[in-house]
Amino acid sequence: MPVFRWGQSWDPFRDLEREVDRLLQSVNLTFQGVRAGRQYPAINVHETPDAFILTAELPATAPEDLELTIANGVLTLSGHRHDEAAVSEDRYRRQERPRGTWQRTLPVPERVQENQLTADFNNGVLLVHLPKAPQLEPRQIPVTSD
Amino acid sequence: MSPDQSEQPISNRIDDTTPAPTERFVFTPPIDIFETSDGLVLRADLPGVSIETLELQIQDNRLTLFGRVESVLPPGAIPVHQEFEVGDFLRSFILSDEVDHDRITARLSHGVLEVELPRADQPEPRRIQVNAD
Repeated sequence: MPVFRWGQSWDPFRDLEREVDRLLQSVNLTFQGVRAGRQYPAINVHETPDAFILTAELPATAPEDLELTIANGVLTLSGHRHDEAAVSEDRYRRQERPRGTWQRTLPVPERVQENQLTADFNNGVLLVHLPKAPQLEPRQIPVTSD
Repeated sequence: MSPDQSEQPISNRIDDTTPAPTERFVFTPPIDIFETSDGLVLRADLPGVSIETLELQIQDNRLTLFGRVESVLPPGAIPVHQEFEVGDFLRSFILSDEVDHDRITARLSHGVLEVELPRADQPEPRRIQVNAD
């Protein structure tokens, strides 16, 4: 947001500001690719009228290496990345990908039908479908008086 | 595809039919490179990229990978908690002369691209006959 508004003479600053914004944006995006120092895996939750949808990027994890459990309103995801085992450390020329086993727990929103949970896992992207419980109809309570 | 089209930047050639989104993220995917007895192997994490949306090309000495990621969410889903952005993946590498370009192979599984870069055969030393007058 421009602070000074003295006409055309400040235009160079506006250009500079825009340029710095652009630079910062590109730096930010580069780091997001590595996602250092964040909980693994990163998780997004979206809502539709009838469900909550959880998505996570889990490359290098086979479906059989992924475990998904739900109990008492807590969803637990755990698994490991499977493809680094056969390579000895001294063979690496570059190593940027995360590795190892991981686990993450999440409280599940209320009004979710835990027994109706389904999950898809394609191309390293996990999608968990949590259907909402149907809303109860409001019930009229008869009021009587003597 | 005409030869002219292949000269265009990679992003212009992938998909011209979908309406341009207002903003699309492009990420640099993390990679591993390791040596094997046959050469080098490159692995890149490309979650959400399928065989149909992956482009791998070599031009001169530059290996470029571009993976397009389509959202798996139903239209109209509202974000309530967001820790990552969905975007495409782009990265390129300069290959050394020791890689045999013609024998490069690649496969994609569980969101990981694996590219095998075999070492080029070293030409046999050739004895040069020296003649005396």
